[in-house]
Amino acid sequence: MPELTLVVADPAGLHARPAARFVQAASKFESRIVLRYGEREADAKSLIALLGLTVRPSSEIVIAAEGPDADAAIAALAAELAPYLGAPDLVP
Amino acid sequence: MGLVLISHSGTLVTGLREMVMQVAGEDVAVAIAGGTEDGRLGTSAPLIAEALRSTLDASPEGVLVLFDLGSAALSLELALDDLDPADRDRTRVSEAPLVEGAVLAAVQASVGASLAEVEAAAAAASTMPKLPRDR
Repeated sequence: MPELTLVVADPAGLHARPAARFVQAASKFESRIVLRYGEREADAKSLIALLGLTVRPSSEIVIAAEGPDADAAIAALAAELAPYLGAPDLVP
Repeated sequence: MGLVLISHSGTLVTGLREMVMQVAGEDVAVAIAGGTEDGRLGTSAPLIAEALRSTLDASPEGVLVLFDLGSAALSLELALDDLDPADRDRTRVSEAPLVEGAVLAAVQASVGASLAEVEAAAAAASTMPKLPRDR
């Protein structure tokens, strides 16, 4: 299951617009995609789930994908989020 | 998929439309009906009917309607009664809170979801937590 850790550099945390971009990008893939924040996990294709995480600035999030297009999904989501959230620091 | 946002205040719903479009993107049809025809606070069945028709024209898959306070429901009923049966069948009314429901519904619509899926996304707004759960 490919994963990618990102640090949320945006001073507002994961707020509505980047979260919506994330949902839009994730919805293009068949794989199950989740965003982990601390001990909680949210379906990356659900805006309410992502906003419910209330991700704080300067914290770490993990994007994980499982399915036929998991690697492509992680790459696309990293590209989508990079300008909002900060540079990837770990690509397994 | 399109949305019709109804408020007693034109200012409120103009700002909400702007916010929804910024969050969800330009691909979702969002029409608004705010205030009365002479610009006072209130709702207007003809303005709502106009918003419904323009959105139904732009969105063959259907339209979800959200409104701010229960007193808008009467104007909305009049406007809905005015629609052709086929258009009425493509129109669903949500009881979700207006701001949260509109944002969630628009993002769901922007990924090509069905009317039922968009309606469900809006409905989830009623129980959406707002304060962080980590403190």
